[in-house]
Formats: sequence, C-alpha cells, structure tokens
Amino acid sequence: MSEKKQQVSRRQFLNYTLTGVGGFMAASMLAPMVRFAIDPVLKASSASEMHAVVEVSEITKEPQRFDWTVEQVDAWYTSDVTHSAWVYKNEKDEIIPLSPVCKHLGCQVNWATNEPDEFYCPCHGGRYYKSGENVPNTPPNAPLDLYEFEVRDGTLFLGQPVPRQEV
Amino acid sequence: MKWDKDDLKVYYKSKEYVDTVCIPLAPISYEKEEEAVKLSNQYQSLQLLSTELERNYVGRMMLSPLYTYKKDKNMEMEIKRMNQWIHDFQADFKHVFLLTFDVNWRKQEKDLDGQLIWLPGTSIEAQPTELTKKWIQEQISQISELIQSYWD
Repeated sequence: MSEKKQQVSRRQFLNYTLTGVGGFMAASMLAPMVRFAIDPVLKASSASEMHAVVEVSEITKEPQRFDWTVEQVDAWYTSDVTHSAWVYKNEKDEIIPLSPVCKHLGCQVNWATNEPDEFYCPCHGGRYYKSGENVPNTPPNAPLDLYEFEVRDGTLFLGQPVPRQEV
Repeated sequence: MKWDKDDLKVYYKSKEYVDTVCIPLAPISYEKEEEAVKLSNQYQSLQLLSTELERNYVGRMMLSPLYTYKKDKNMEMEIKRMNQWIHDFQADFKHVFLLTFDVNWRKQEKDLDGQLIWLPGTSIEAQPTELTKKWIQEQISQISELIQSYWD
C-alpha cells in the first residue's frame, strides 16, 4: 500500500529538482547572451528617427532641394553626414519628399536642368518624371525613393527613404 | 565612390560607368606655426569639399584618398610623380581631376597631364556654420559645372 502511495520516487524527485535548478542556472547564463546577440536588431528601430527639414509654408508646387545634417557615429568615429530631399506639393496639395539619389548608381539628381519638369542625373543621363517615376529607356530601373514623413507644428520631418515598386 | 570596401565592391561590378577619378592634393609643413595652421585648415576644407563632391557624383566618380606632400619642396619632382600617378590612373579612368588649394600646382599647370581644379585658398571655421555650408555649396556647384563640361 505504502509503495503505491509514494507516487514520486526519490530518484524522480532528485531528477526534477536537478533539472529545475540546472535549467534556472542555464537560463540566467543564456539570457544576457541572447540579449547581447539580438541587440543590433533592437537598435535598428532607433535608426528611423525623424529630422526637422523645412517649414511646410516654404514648400511650393515646384520641387526645391533641402539639405540637413545628421551626426553619424561609426564605432569611434563621428562624422556629419549631409542628406538632401527634393520636396514639392502635388495637385492634391500632398507633400512629396523625394530622395535625390539616382537609382542607377547613386548620383544626386537635379530638377529641370536638362528637360523641363523632369529630374535629371548628370552622371549617365538618367531621367525621372516629376512624380519620381523613372523615364523608360534611361539607365535607372526604379522610381526615386520617397522619404517617410511627418508634419508636426507646421514643420516637415523626414525619416528614411523608402524604395518603391519598379515601373 | 570612395576608397572603401563597400564602395569598391560596387565599383568592380559597374566599372564601365565610372570613368572619372578625383585626387585631392594637400601640402604639409611643420616649419612655421602660422603656416601649418593655415595648411591644416585647407586640408580640412579640401576633405569637406571632396566628400560633398563625391556625394553628388557617386555613380561616376571615384574619390581617391588624399595625396599629401611636403610644401614647396622640389615641385618639379612632385609634378613628375603626379604625372606618373595620372598615367597609371588613365588606364582605368578617362578623366583625372586634381583638386587643390595649393597655388604651386597652378603655376605649373601646363606640365600636368590631368585636369587641375585650383581653388583660391579660403579658410573655413572648424565648426560648420550656415555660412560655411553656403560657401561649400557655392564651390561645389562651380566645380560641378567644370567637371560636367569635360563629360559632354
């Protein structure tokens, strides 16, 4: 009878306790290591910071180029990196903030220097319509990136450039 | 493109599109304090200018690391050495531009086999201000115009 009542044997009890304590110890060792390993993933979200670029009232129907500087830290080396955007309002009064980086090889495009109402890349003659879509049969094969944007208290804030689908 | 491992990967993939190299030239001298300060300032301005220039023409221009030499020492030898560099570079690049504040190159420009872009010496503040930014933009647009005239 007493044999039947004893549902946890001494051996089992020791097994359970050792697994429990061992598991706890393993977890306390692994947790900081895992946190350390995935740290860059967690940090990436802070890269999508927004930067104040220009007062909304200054934005016209004609694209204008605005520059801003971001302090970039690469390990021990801090440098100021300049970013630019071509910003305008379309017919529906929506703000269009285009990245000036040519989708061919990354030169900076200019507005209306070659053809009126088109962006032009001086490096290899890439062309884009005002919407940022690439003109077919010119070197670039994708439209200019659009910046993430936000309007706070009448100021335009820009984040990261986001690639668009191929035309 | 810069002398940088990621940029170089792109360069070797799209070599046929990159036909221009730009070499910034900066003299160095420790002899007199006043001159050394002036030269170091020009050195920094040159770095600012050339990185900004590179940003505009990433896809067609390779920015070479800065070339340094002793100020005023045997310019003839420097010209000779520079021409050797230019000839070597011309195997890979159609256009070789030299960017400098040093007037000594300007004086002997006719002996150089590359295109010299001489900038009249201006010192800018260490801290970039609005005025500095404007000045850089102004210089860049003029240099750009010059470079594009060679491309056509």
